[in-house]
Amino acid sequence: MSLGDYLRLLRAKRGGLTPWDIEAATTLPKGLYRQMEQRYRAIGDDASIEILAEYYAVPFEDLRWRLDWSRKTLSRALHAAATNQTPITLGLWNGQEANGKVVWWDLGAVGLDTGNGPLLIVQRHAAERWDPRAPEDSAADADDPDDEDQD
Amino acid sequence: MADNLWVLREQKKISVATLASRAGLPIGLIMEYESGQRSIDPRHLNRIARALYIEEADIKLQSDPRPGAAPLERQPSRDAPRDMARPYGDRPPMPRPSAGDVRPRERPMRPRFEPRPPLPARPSQIAHLEGLLKRLDQTVADLEAQTGKPVSSLDRLALSALLKDLQAKVKDAPTPVRHRPYLPESVDEFEARYLAAAQAANDHLRFTLFDGLTVEGLIIGYGPYSITARQADGSEVTLNKLALVSYTKVSGGDGPEQLQ
Repeated sequence: MSLGDYLRLLRAKRGGLTPWDIEAATTLPKGLYRQMEQRYRAIGDDASIEILAEYYAVPFEDLRWRLDWSRKTLSRALHAAATNQTPITLGLWNGQEANGKVVWWDLGAVGLDTGNGPLLIVQRHAAERWDPRAPEDSAADADDPDDEDQD
Repeated sequence: MADNLWVLREQKKISVATLASRAGLPIGLIMEYESGQRSIDPRHLNRIARALYIEEADIKLQSDPRPGAAPLERQPSRDAPRDMARPYGDRPPMPRPSAGDVRPRERPMRPRFEPRPPLPARPSQIAHLEGLLKRLDQTVADLEAQTGKPVSSLDRLALSALLKDLQAKVKDAPTPVRHRPYLPESVDEFEARYLAAAQAANDHLRFTLFDGLTVEGLIIGYGPYSITARQADGSEVTLNKLALVSYTKVSGGDGPEQLQ
């Protein structure tokens, strides 16, 4: 789960809070929290994560490592696996692993051919880590909706 | 018995202006006829008679002057020298065509119409053509293969007609699936297709939730954020996708083991 997804989950657990409420309750710059949640690329730094860890009362490292596993990096990995027809292993939130070839992927889920029965649909936000990771300059960069997000 | 024109007119209680208007003749001419300065032109007699609703024979061609009336003073003609400064200088007056001179004026010959050579196609037409072909999932090469001649040989008119045909085809063509530019997938396009197929086929799906629970059932509805399933006991459950880790079809029994 990316930092954005995880922040969204934490906010949902608080119930009824909006990004603007959180910005008002912390010293985060205006708009930063919303971008950290919504952007596909990694947004934020140690200072902003420190503030949020304190606000949500979670360990700093629990948020920090997710910055390196953004939605965009997952898009790169899925794109590369689908293009090269190579299997990918997804480490899931519940501790399980899903391994298979990417049949399709969209912004919500991944269809994996595990070679062992019907297609397995994995929700993207459930994927915490994956292997292999695609290089930073992968072609999937052009497919990222961040590129169209004009703030 | 014929009578003077002015007598007849006054009997009809109409003015000189009205008579002139009805007869389509100048007022001055009517006044000259009435004063006897001029005898009525036989070509005008019928028009005057009809304007007065009388017979031609009732009108004297040469009227007697009205008793006591001063003779008419003629207006100076245009050709007469003017007292005022002549704005046209000493230019001689334009010659008036005589009544018998009916020769048509000689006009300069018009150049004969010659069709212009066809104009080349506009760049905007080519761009429009490519756009239409793209919407029809075709290329210029496909079109050239169909028509048997290169697009570059089409002139502006021919290309215009072709564009008109293609526009009609685009209008009739089914609406294509819209994709976001540079994005190989929509937000949940593939997942929605998968769920639609599963719902249509009455497939049983097994959902694994974040907390380790599993739910099994028939898809009876779905959206971008949730899936509703009917479980074996008939109860319906709506699962928020955020609470899901994965799901798969159950092919009878306990279903395949997908995860390690």
